[in-house]
Amino acid sequence: MTEAVQNVSQSQIEVENLNLWYGEKQALKNISMQISKNSVTALIGPSGCGKSTFIRCLNRMNDLIKNCRIEGRVLIEGKDIYGPDVDAVDLRKNVGMVFQKPNPFPMSIYDNIAYGPRIHGANKKDLDGIVEQALRSAAIWEETSDRLKSPALSLSGGQQQRLCIARTLAVKPRIILFDEPTSALDPISTSRIEELIMNLKKDYTIVIVTHNMQQAARISDYTGFFLMGELIEFGQTRQIFHNPQERSTEDYITGRFG
Amino acid sequence: MGLSSKTSEKIAFSLLTLATLTVASFVLVILVYIILNGYGAISIEFLTEMPRRMMTQGGIYPAIVGTMYLIIGSMVAALPIGVIAAIYLNEYAGENRTTWLVEMAINNLAGTPSVVFGLFGLALFVKYFGFGPSILSASLTLALLILPVIIRSTKEALLTVPNEYRESSLALGVSKWQTIRYVVLPAAIPGIVTGSILSIGRVAGETAPILFTGAAYFLPRLPDSIYSQFMALPYHLFVLATAGTNIAKTRPIQYGTALVLLLIVLGLNLIAVLIRRHYRNKLKI
Repeated sequence: MTEAVQNVSQSQIEVENLNLWYGEKQALKNISMQISKNSVTALIGPSGCGKSTFIRCLNRMNDLIKNCRIEGRVLIEGKDIYGPDVDAVDLRKNVGMVFQKPNPFPMSIYDNIAYGPRIHGANKKDLDGIVEQALRSAAIWEETSDRLKSPALSLSGGQQQRLCIARTLAVKPRIILFDEPTSALDPISTSRIEELIMNLKKDYTIVIVTHNMQQAARISDYTGFFLMGELIEFGQTRQIFHNPQERSTEDYITGRFG
Repeated sequence: MGLSSKTSEKIAFSLLTLATLTVASFVLVILVYIILNGYGAISIEFLTEMPRRMMTQGGIYPAIVGTMYLIIGSMVAALPIGVIAAIYLNEYAGENRTTWLVEMAINNLAGTPSVVFGLFGLALFVKYFGFGPSILSASLTLALLILPVIIRSTKEALLTVPNEYRESSLALGVSKWQTIRYVVLPAAIPGIVTGSILSIGRVAGETAPILFTGAAYFLPRLPDSIYSQFMALPYHLFVLATAGTNIAKTRPIQYGTALVLLLIVLGLNLIAVLIRRHYRNKLKI
């Protein structure tokens, strides 16, 4: 996967004419998009517009859904992830995902973080370091360092979500997908997560689906607006918010619908 | 409607309470009756000695041992198969005709009278496989009987594991089997344990399936291999109460046997509760 990187371009993810059907219903219509390395790309749009469906194409989580059919190409670092020789399980080590609801496993804080690396064969003596590193990167080390053995579910919602981010980081992905990561959190937890996402950009390419337009405006470099399965507009966040080219984008951003 | 909503509420509540109390009092009456009548028969000798004088004296030790062997034997056979089948049905099998047929078969198996299992065990294990009337034949027959219980309760337990666990594990690049092995199964263990122990209660109490497959009328020694015949508590009780040499004289022994059987089943249920609580605290759901 890595050799092809340099000579392709700066874009780490290239989506070409992506169509997706759930049974008879077409959920994504001819989406094309290029996502740059080490940037934050926000996907906005009303409920049911396909943004979550789209993000789940990038780590092939839609594979798990019955009757889901996909056409088109998704290139990550130059390689089609729907190609015949790509293993979805391996792909997901490189493309991590954080979900809407904080969902730590019913294990200790330590075991939550160590879960992925352990299964991927990390050396036992390296685990402590991996766990600490991941928790530090997700800005939750200070709160958890003295209680690593306590159940993860005893943490607050915001802490649980940062724990889930740490759990994803521990597997060392290059891309992280966030599917409305703060919609279940209070404003203070939300701002901590936003801060964290902006810091993570240095080392990771980030795609975030959000209902919250202010959030998209605050943290993203690029924004895509989805409506009824189509990518209506995609560009630099500043341009999308200040000078949208499409009428429906403007209507949505100014709160006329959605 | 002539009644005010308050009155009908009161009537409904009283009826529901009455029904519940009736059920509870029957359980209590049975329990107290057996304890009162059986209490006198229980002693160290009763629990540790062979029956003597045509089963009119002595203990029920071989029947206790036999029942224990049946529990172990049927669990060893049914638990792995049942749990694996449930995992397959819940995690891998799609919703298609074959799955539907399999589920139907399991439900029907659960509704089959136990004496039919006994005859089937006689035909298959005792005769066809040639295991003879033995612990092995009886255990396998009982295993068939409890298989649907284990499959169902394991499936229920797997269903209660939130899908988020599966998704977030898969999203970490963990394979489906590893996800089941390290996240789904541990979270489902309390439910699986409960189901299994409830089925142990069935194994300990069933008479018909072991009647044709290896339970002995009287055997003044312990079984020495899985091919031996054995005595078992429920059948021993049946024998004493209906075909014994002196039914009236052995009344106390009958109640004593019933009490021991009851205590074993209640004890196992208690263990189930404790195990479930232990895991629940550990998982802190």
